Amino acid sequence: MSELTVPKPRAVPWQKYLEKFFPYLLLLPVIIYYVVFWLRPVITLVIQSFTAMEGGFTLENYYMVLTDSAFGPALRNTAIIVLFSVSIEFLLALGLALLINRKFTGSGIFLFLAMIPMAIPAVAVGAIWITGLTAHGWMNSLLYYLGIISLDEKIYWLAAGQVALLAIIIIIDAWQVIPSVMIILLAGLQNIPAETEEAGYVFGGNYFYVLRKITVPLLRPTITTAIILRLISAIQIWLIIVMLLGFSRMPVLVERIVYYYDEVQNLYISAQMAAGYTIIVSFIVSLASIAFLFFSGAFKSDEAEAKL
Amino acid sequence: MNRRKSRYLSKAGRNTIFYTFIFGLLFVILTPIFFVVSLSFLSTREAYQYPLPLLPELVTDFKLEGGEKGYLVSVYDKFEGEYQTVQDTDDMEKLSVYFRSQLSVYMSPDEIAEQAAIYDETGEPVYFNGRKNLIHNYNTFFRITRDAGSAFFRSIQIALMTIAISLVIGGMAGYSFARYLFRGRNALKFSILFVRMFPGVAIAIPMVIILVNLGFYDQPIGLALVYSVGAIALTIWITASIFIGIPVSIEEAAEVFGATKTRAFIRITLPLALPGLAAAAMYAFLGAWNETIAAIILTQFNPTFSVVVYQSLLGSVGQVNLAAAGGIVMALPAVFFTFLIRRYINQMWGGITF
Repeated sequence: MSELTVPKPRAVPWQKYLEKFFPYLLLLPVIIYYVVFWLRPVITLVIQSFTAMEGGFTLENYYMVLTDSAFGPALRNTAIIVLFSVSIEFLLALGLALLINRKFTGSGIFLFLAMIPMAIPAVAVGAIWITGLTAHGWMNSLLYYLGIISLDEKIYWLAAGQVALLAIIIIIDAWQVIPSVMIILLAGLQNIPAETEEAGYVFGGNYFYVLRKITVPLLRPTITTAIILRLISAIQIWLIIVMLLGFSRMPVLVERIVYYYDEVQNLYISAQMAAGYTIIVSFIVSLASIAFLFFSGAFKSDEAEAKL
Repeated sequence: MNRRKSRYLSKAGRNTIFYTFIFGLLFVILTPIFFVVSLSFLSTREAYQYPLPLLPELVTDFKLEGGEKGYLVSVYDKFEGEYQTVQDTDDMEKLSVYFRSQLSVYMSPDEIAEQAAIYDETGEPVYFNGRKNLIHNYNTFFRITRDAGSAFFRSIQIALMTIAISLVIGGMAGYSFARYLFRGRNALKFSILFVRMFPGVAIAIPMVIILVNLGFYDQPIGLALVYSVGAIALTIWITASIFIGIPVSIEEAAEVFGATKTRAFIRITLPLALPGLAAAAMYAFLGAWNETIAAIILTQFNPTFSVVVYQSLLGSVGQVNLAAAGGIVMALPAVFFTFLIRRYINQMWGGITF
């Protein structure tokens, strides 16, 4: 008996294999797509950021970015904008949502109109404010019509100092962001059953007690999602700043990428600088994204799946 | 009794405060938009006035009389309440061009010459008016901006390709997540969300080489491939939540009556999922339409519409009425589609439950 007989597997209908692998088959295109058009470019970028101009490994690119004279201001400006956009604008939106949180005559039209700013593309937002903030623009005209300034008291908005310019950018950001965040929070508030809050009042709580102990905790999932998604997009602000002030007057991180990639693309260090800045922005945004996934329960084990 | 009355009054008072507040909010939200829409209809002469007129004039009033070099043409200025001299010439061609470019009034040299002839006969100042062409700025924007028209259609083409790619690939994955339980489901689900949140600019720069190798650099399909990275993830997100809402039992019922699995999917599930698929398609459209930074990096001679508007606005502060018209053209499709999908916006932010 020198020959070993391999036991023949019991014939399984091919459909059964198909059934088992069908979900993966449906996911195959998206996986291939992401490997080719996302993972590969990301890896290329990471490698490029560590590659010297003559080839070979280097940390020089990061060193150049970190010692770039605009890096400090860019990081600081981005941080300030993100801080305001996420905290103060968010609190204002929450306050407004709580004030408005009731059905009133015309609430449908109000929400409809309040949604317009969030629908406007960044380039068009730039068009709105660049025509507004020039000395002859609509902003000064409006202030004149309202009787706040006289005819020869024009305000030169775009010639203001850094702090005032930052404030202007934050206000423009607020104009676009607050109504949209407010609508999202309103939707969340409307999902809270009225009885839970009424119960709080019945047991003697005042408005702020009920708000703190009942409303806000119930709203927490909406709040977390809104804050972190805001965070991710606030880090990437650039277009409105460039459209109003041009490059380099108020550097922010993503503006630096476009600056090196588009504005001074023939500089011999441009590609390296752009890659370095891109990695830094991606790293910060990734941290925010992971925080988002963490809070939304991505890292909790899926019970149904664990049983498999 | 007294107490009830005072409570009633305070309720009315509170209502007044509430509506004042609502109107104040609307004023802040809508004023910038109102001014830009109004500005996009102003003639160049009006747009250079300070303070800016709140609304465009529909008709311009002219006065024509004898001048040193020929005819003195004046325009009625509503703000000052008087006629202001704008031209002194006997060249009707020049007047016609001036009317057109500065006042948005389309009058041929012959039509102006007719009025001049009346003056020559009577020797009295002639008053006449010209109807303003309201869409003059829009016409001019498309005429003088480097290939704005072709960029507009290119952007639409890119957006449609993005919709096609993301609906097919994302829809399949969304169905898989909604209907099947399999190992690695949760991990895959969230890595896709991570891809979506990763900044788009990060892949745009290395994509240049990849697209050049594929022959897709500076081509609409190249940008569609880049935009699909984000759009696919969002499509999976939306379609998964839609498919999960369609009970498997109706598909099974169709199979009981003799339909194949594919047929049941096409005839039963797909029509029910249509609203969600439409929402996903519109999100893909908006993402592709509004994007600027990757388009700057990945195009050279064939820019998208957002790049054209961006470049025409950059440092062209003088042409405020043209800037406004460009911004409005850019915003209109986006605003329109956002209102079509407003039901789904909360869903997008609400939670990420599949």
